[in-house]
Amino acid sequence: MTLEKKQTVIIALAGLFMLSLLLVAWVEGGRRRALRAPDAVVTAENADCVDCHNVKSPGIVRQWEISEHAGTGIGCLQCHAAEPGDVDGYMHEGTLIATIVTPRDCGGCHERETAEFEASHHAKGGEILGSLDNVLAEVVEGFTRFDAAGNKIEASAAAVSGCLQCHGSEVRVLESGKLDPATWPNTGIGRINPDGSRGSCTACHLRHNFSRAQARAPENCGRCHLGPDHPQMEVYQSSKHGIAFEANRARFEPLMEEKEWIPGRDFEQGPTCTTCHMSATRSLPLTHDVGERISWTLRPAVSEKIDAAASKQGKSVKSWQDRRRDMQNVCESCHAPEWVGNWYEQFDNLVNLYNDKFGRPASQLFQQARASGLLTPIEFDEELEFTYFFLWHHEGRRARHGAAMMGSDYTQWHGMYEVAHRFYMEFVPQLRDLIAHHRDGSKAAAARRLAADLDETLNSEMHRWFLGKTSSAELAARAAAAEEFKKRYSQ
Amino acid sequence: MNGENRSAGSWLRSRIPINEQLLAAIGSEPIPGHLKRWWWCIGGTPAYLFLVQIVSGILLTFYYAPSQELAYESVAAIDEQIRFGWYLRSVHKWSSHLMIATLCLHMMRVFFTGAYRAPREANWMVGCALLMLTLGAGFTGYSLIWEQLSYWGATVAANLLGAVPLVGERLAEFLRGGPTVGQNMLTRLFVLHIGAIPTLMMGCIAIHIYLVRAHGVAELDPPKERKTFPFFPDHFLTELALALFLMFLLTCLALIFPAGLAEKANPLETPEHIKPEWYFFWAFRWLKLMTDRTAVVTQGIFLAVIVFWPFVDGWIRRRNPRSEAGVACGVAGVALLLALTVWEALASIP
Repeated sequence: MTLEKKQTVIIALAGLFMLSLLLVAWVEGGRRRALRAPDAVVTAENADCVDCHNVKSPGIVRQWEISEHAGTGIGCLQCHAAEPGDVDGYMHEGTLIATIVTPRDCGGCHERETAEFEASHHAKGGEILGSLDNVLAEVVEGFTRFDAAGNKIEASAAAVSGCLQCHGSEVRVLESGKLDPATWPNTGIGRINPDGSRGSCTACHLRHNFSRAQARAPENCGRCHLGPDHPQMEVYQSSKHGIAFEANRARFEPLMEEKEWIPGRDFEQGPTCTTCHMSATRSLPLTHDVGERISWTLRPAVSEKIDAAASKQGKSVKSWQDRRRDMQNVCESCHAPEWVGNWYEQFDNLVNLYNDKFGRPASQLFQQARASGLLTPIEFDEELEFTYFFLWHHEGRRARHGAAMMGSDYTQWHGMYEVAHRFYMEFVPQLRDLIAHHRDGSKAAAARRLAADLDETLNSEMHRWFLGKTSSAELAARAAAAEEFKKRYSQ
Repeated sequence: MNGENRSAGSWLRSRIPINEQLLAAIGSEPIPGHLKRWWWCIGGTPAYLFLVQIVSGILLTFYYAPSQELAYESVAAIDEQIRFGWYLRSVHKWSSHLMIATLCLHMMRVFFTGAYRAPREANWMVGCALLMLTLGAGFTGYSLIWEQLSYWGATVAANLLGAVPLVGERLAEFLRGGPTVGQNMLTRLFVLHIGAIPTLMMGCIAIHIYLVRAHGVAELDPPKERKTFPFFPDHFLTELALALFLMFLLTCLALIFPAGLAEKANPLETPEHIKPEWYFFWAFRWLKLMTDRTAVVTQGIFLAVIVFWPFVDGWIRRRNPRSEAGVACGVAGVALLLALTVWEALASIP
């Protein structure tokens, strides 16, 4: 080949190479566009919403674009469209929509998940409105104003920004058609919605991308399950489960976005809250009823098996044994059955100890003081009421939650130690003061009965050490055991 | 203006004293006439592809994270997030495949034309070293992706290394950096892939080219009247055309068959079918036919025969100068490798 021909070949090849590079640039451009909106399908009915919100609130459009919904054409109106007659429906740019997307709306497609959720304790979280906690937030800590007719005209800010954000508000639609700012925004798990449904899917599934990995992250539950009265998040973080998850988090996170994230199959350690309470296992289906695998209720002053209250009312619910069996199924993804059985024995023993030694006697004595009129009928106007509340609602729960989720420091120092301190150093002395205060008055008989019951409690097997009445046999046995231990290990 | 150029030129020459006459001599080195045929340029092809590997590899290393947790994700990010990342990775992948293919063709050409014979035995051995280093680069690069097949491929390779007599277990543990395939092995693979192997290859390529220059290009049938042509511009233009063609080909391959990404490595789940890259098919099939130890030993013997072939061939030719046994051995060897490769390829079709 002559040099001239060679030059021609080179020019032709250079041209082809440049053309191929142009094609690469064109493909890259397409990929960039797809990256901005990965597979987002904007249907004709949603086009106007997307165009306008792209300018006014682009964040929500970006959230939606990276959701699985976007890829399937599920857009704004599929969730936000309202029916004529809907209490919270209003005309927006020529379309009847509702701001709030309720579980009933989600249930249009996610039927099974919604049914499970509605049957759960989560869905009833809004019923706290009438409970003791609400007296604290609406009266003791906060202030609620009523008009002469008894209508609430000013909600307690403490309740609105506190309790209700987790438990859920009762969302009210004002006469103007707008949502009452005392009740909305709110994504509490047990929100009472204008359409009558209970709950809020976005309490756990952050809108508008609804990422599975986010829903499975422990921090998601930790938004509400934390703090001095129910530190599940802190207990989890200090447990081996939490430590293992955090140590492997970067490896797990991509897998957590998958439809299934099954312990023992898709990952080998570090379950999160949802793994144990909700996720599918190799043989159990996924559930959105978070109480499905819980055998004890650790919430009240005295713990009872989770089906006890329903059984007393004659209701037929899933038994605590069946719930425990399902939770053990999860445990056995990574632990041997014997290990699991032994662990449950340790857990049961701690709950029973708390119940028998502090929860039940303290509750009985406190309720007796109230019922007999030694305490005023006004809630939280006396020190003993706070003392008792701290004992079961904060410290007692911490001890039990620590045992439930392997947070030993929460069982011991944040839990049982503080329960004991509260009981012996505050509750008992305050009861004695109350008895002394009423000894010579019109309630002397009630005071004597309370004194006798307190005396009986303190002289019982578990408390008599406090009165210096430990039997000589027990003292000798303890001393001998201590000596034997020293011989074995302290040489 | 000319005066300025002269002064700038002399300023530069006084600081970088280049022997221009030597440069001109190198540029106009006579190239044997048969190299005007395109297929005789196949030796330069892997060298050019190596250059492509270096450039694309450096750019990919800017984004690759050699950690167990992030390796796969960083490759996915290169594919999906980084501007032109998919193109770079595809070019890197396809140039490695082409490099191995063209190296094999080059070695077959050298073998069957007897170009390894005296005084070029050492260069043949350097070429063998280059082939092995290239295969090593292919293996380490593939493993770095940390997807299921590459992870388990690395596991099998480390186990195979353990089957080497006497030192196998120590070698395997050294490569793994412990008893199992994990972060330590990934770090080792990364260092080998981006540091040790390319450095060794550059050294071998330099020696290879120097020896080609020193001995001259071997000729199949030395003509009575030696016809040559100058390196520059004639042969240079041939190589340039080849380089442009390769870039066009690589770009087309990247566009039509971009480098994909399979499932992420899961140490807990052994895939039902493990298979290496195509250039190790023959070895993998061989492995399935016998025990690990036997496979490793026989492959070692096979490799040793290839490396020392110039001396084996010399021994045969000394006994019978007209013997065609060498060619017969070559044909049998290539046929065996091809048969094993095709066998494994057919077996791996689901």
